[in-house]
Amino acid sequence: MEPILLRLAPVVLGILCAFPPVRAASLNFPVEYYKLPNGLRVTLSEDHTTPVVTVAVYYKIGFRVEPKDKTGFAHLFEHMMFQGSKNLGKMEFIRLVQSNGGILNGSTRFDFTNYFETLPSNKLETALWAEADRMRGLDINQDNLKNQQGVVGNEVKVNVLNQPYGGFPWLDVPQVANSNYYNAHNFYGDLKDIEAATLTDVQDFFKTYYAPNNASLVVVGDFTPSDAKSWVEKYFSNVPAHDQPPAADLTEPPQQKEKRVVHQDKLAQRPALAFAYHMPDKGTPEYYAMGLLDQLLLQGDDSLLRQELVKKRALTGSVSGGINLLGDMFNYNGPMLWTGFLFHDSNTTGDAIMQAVDTVINSVRENGVAEDQLGRARVKLRSGFLDTVSTGFGRADLLSAFALFDDRPQKINELDQKFADITPELMKKTAIEYLKPSNRTVLEIEPAAPAAQKGMN
Amino acid sequence: MRRSFIVFSLAIVSSSAMRLVAQQREQPPEGAPPKPFHSPARTTFTAGSGLPVTLAQFGLIPKVTIELVVRGGEITEPKGKDGLGTLMGELMKEGTSSLTAEQIAQKAALLGGSLSVDTDSDEIIVRGDALSESAARMIELLADLALHPKFPESELQRLKKDQLRNIAIAKTQPKVIAAQAFRKVVYGDNGYGRVIPDEAALGSITLDEIKAYYARHFIPSNAHLYVTGLFSPDLRSAIETAFSGWPKGDNPPVPEIKAQTKHTLELVDRPGAPQSTLAIGTPVVGPESGDYIPLEVTNSLLGGSFMSRITSNIREQKGYTYSPRSALETNAENAVWVEHADVTTKFTGESLKEIFGEMNGLRREGPPQKELKGIQNGISGVFILRNSSRQGIINILKMIDLHHLPPDYIDSYLPKMFAVTPSQVQAISEKYLDPAKMTVVVVGDKAQVESQIAPYKPGTN
Repeated sequence: MEPILLRLAPVVLGILCAFPPVRAASLNFPVEYYKLPNGLRVTLSEDHTTPVVTVAVYYKIGFRVEPKDKTGFAHLFEHMMFQGSKNLGKMEFIRLVQSNGGILNGSTRFDFTNYFETLPSNKLETALWAEADRMRGLDINQDNLKNQQGVVGNEVKVNVLNQPYGGFPWLDVPQVANSNYYNAHNFYGDLKDIEAATLTDVQDFFKTYYAPNNASLVVVGDFTPSDAKSWVEKYFSNVPAHDQPPAADLTEPPQQKEKRVVHQDKLAQRPALAFAYHMPDKGTPEYYAMGLLDQLLLQGDDSLLRQELVKKRALTGSVSGGINLLGDMFNYNGPMLWTGFLFHDSNTTGDAIMQAVDTVINSVRENGVAEDQLGRARVKLRSGFLDTVSTGFGRADLLSAFALFDDRPQKINELDQKFADITPELMKKTAIEYLKPSNRTVLEIEPAAPAAQKGMN
Repeated sequence: MRRSFIVFSLAIVSSSAMRLVAQQREQPPEGAPPKPFHSPARTTFTAGSGLPVTLAQFGLIPKVTIELVVRGGEITEPKGKDGLGTLMGELMKEGTSSLTAEQIAQKAALLGGSLSVDTDSDEIIVRGDALSESAARMIELLADLALHPKFPESELQRLKKDQLRNIAIAKTQPKVIAAQAFRKVVYGDNGYGRVIPDEAALGSITLDEIKAYYARHFIPSNAHLYVTGLFSPDLRSAIETAFSGWPKGDNPPVPEIKAQTKHTLELVDRPGAPQSTLAIGTPVVGPESGDYIPLEVTNSLLGGSFMSRITSNIREQKGYTYSPRSALETNAENAVWVEHADVTTKFTGESLKEIFGEMNGLRREGPPQKELKGIQNGISGVFILRNSSRQGIINILKMIDLHHLPPDYIDSYLPKMFAVTPSQVQAISEKYLDPAKMTVVVVGDKAQVESQIAPYKPGTN
């Protein structure tokens, strides 16, 4: 299949019309990649569909490796990145982007913290200047910190502490499925740890991890490469690099037997259940096979777990989940879980649910994957990928992950082939090796809301 | 569909406010002059026996989004039959005259997409998403589902059980509890006035009622088909063919329920809650009104954007909350301005004070021009981005049709929005956003909160 370049819009349409139903040609995104002398990875990917541009700065530090006695710190720090730098006071970064017609946000994940904005393309230089300003150094005070401690405390309350199933499954499951502290601690943070953070902690964290040689800058959208490169040079090249600490040991010891854990939830009225298997190492053929197994088993109404648990056995109304609940299968860099979860009624037992799950998974382990099933899995994966890359941010996210973790953003154009190489035999082998009970954790949530609680009547 | 658990720093995104005086600081580069924005071209025609169709080519990603929007929804559910629309939608997916549920699901997957039926307050939406190369086949599949649903009785009990479970779970979520209490006051006992169905009502629904509801609403002239994305012009004939067999009928009536302005303060007890969940709002005018765009600008400045008065105050100055946000919540007949916030329990009273304080501030005095311009630039950015995705484009087209807005709505929006002045913002605030008329709901720990909010009880201030 010839790749079709995105610039040739009218030609693309013509080609799609000319052929009767055939497999669509692979997309090929323009990707230019280089590094500044200070180590900053720079990726540029043009797209002139709409007059907007997305700037994404990813730092290779997430909550996995945050300081051990300071749970939730990496996330609190992320908030502080918006609180002031040398030439921008508190909230001024946000004001700058929004008053220039942009949207922005930041987030903290397992292995990176990202800061991104999408703005009208005529404001690219403004955004690059601002990101460089805060990469160069923060300018914050105790009041800012106290304020954001209040904000983050409320974030934990609104998303977890005051919600039924608040941390379920995304925060709860890694803590029970993993044993290495880096992978198994409360990364949203205990409120007391969030409260105890100091300004010195913030400055130290910045000094250690927020360096250009520990970062990736991606620009996607409507821009001229020569302009972008000269602004990147002008604003980022004088940010000094600093040596990174040695990489932490994230190894998860192989799990020897199934874990079953029950948590009580005082705010829930119905039980819930999650099952999670440890993923194969990233980048291996088995890892790509898991991407297709995920589609086959868990994604879409036709997925095998949904058909069995929802339609055939009526155990639940839906089964959800996937690889990396805080992102996707591409934007992490350490031990990971494939998780499925559902909500059910009290007269359904966890055993009955797991028996149904076993029926489905064992049929794959014993009989493998049929051609038509594999075909559907491939199409679903491709369709999901297209949805991801249809936004500037989605494309920037993939490019950032590949630049930061693999030193190769061009991987975005190689994924099709990686998945095309997966055979039914490899999928069966992967299921046998990884989707076995001894490799999984089952977490059950028992509703413990007081019987008297009526919610609202 | 995969749920997202990613939590972001800013929770909400929109536009900006005052520029502070710079002190010996480098100024950010201005950037270049803006490029023009053009909305995608639309083709409209009537298919079969009266189905309006709108097509909009957009983008370079080879996918399409298709929505068959049927006028109806929760507002048309008969009394005592809450959730009829949703249950019907779920049962529609359980098979057509020629396909089983599993076959539908497998076909949709093979087309690189999914098929869903959703019911909201005014509409039932049959939605399909597919790879561009499969667009025509997705049209066929979607039409089969919409025109030839089997409604197998054997699945009804299971689907009811699933809905009842969803209701039980929703009832334990503070935002749902707050929204339910709020809507009940403002709309009363009807489809607009409930966030979730009553369990007994849903349980009582029969197969005949589902079929009758379907027959009443699924009529070509009572629907509209939208397609966006990348697709061949041949799709038009696929649409004509797929919907040609749809029998005509008379559009069913739709009740006209108007929101009521009621100054109340209600506390729903949530013992031990670490936060109070607030819903504060009042009916305003809808998109048909000339005041609506000025209202949108005022909303963004007051509480709808991150740089808004309320958010700057209770989040970024005081740290009382993470995710405050105000919005104009609309349905076919109404719009209600509502501020939502989850605030630290011990600062519940203080939060109300600050929110009303900001409201009164705008009623007294319009914003500085610079602050307003920043907000307007932010709205402009969000508007352009909304018009830059398949779903975003469909959403705007649906809104234009539901509210009978002029066809040039999209292209005339930005100039009208930028024309709003500071004194208009003040006038709008005075006219529509009066703390003395607000409906206020607080879901929180009564033991800690009751005394804090006592000063705000109607009649005391």
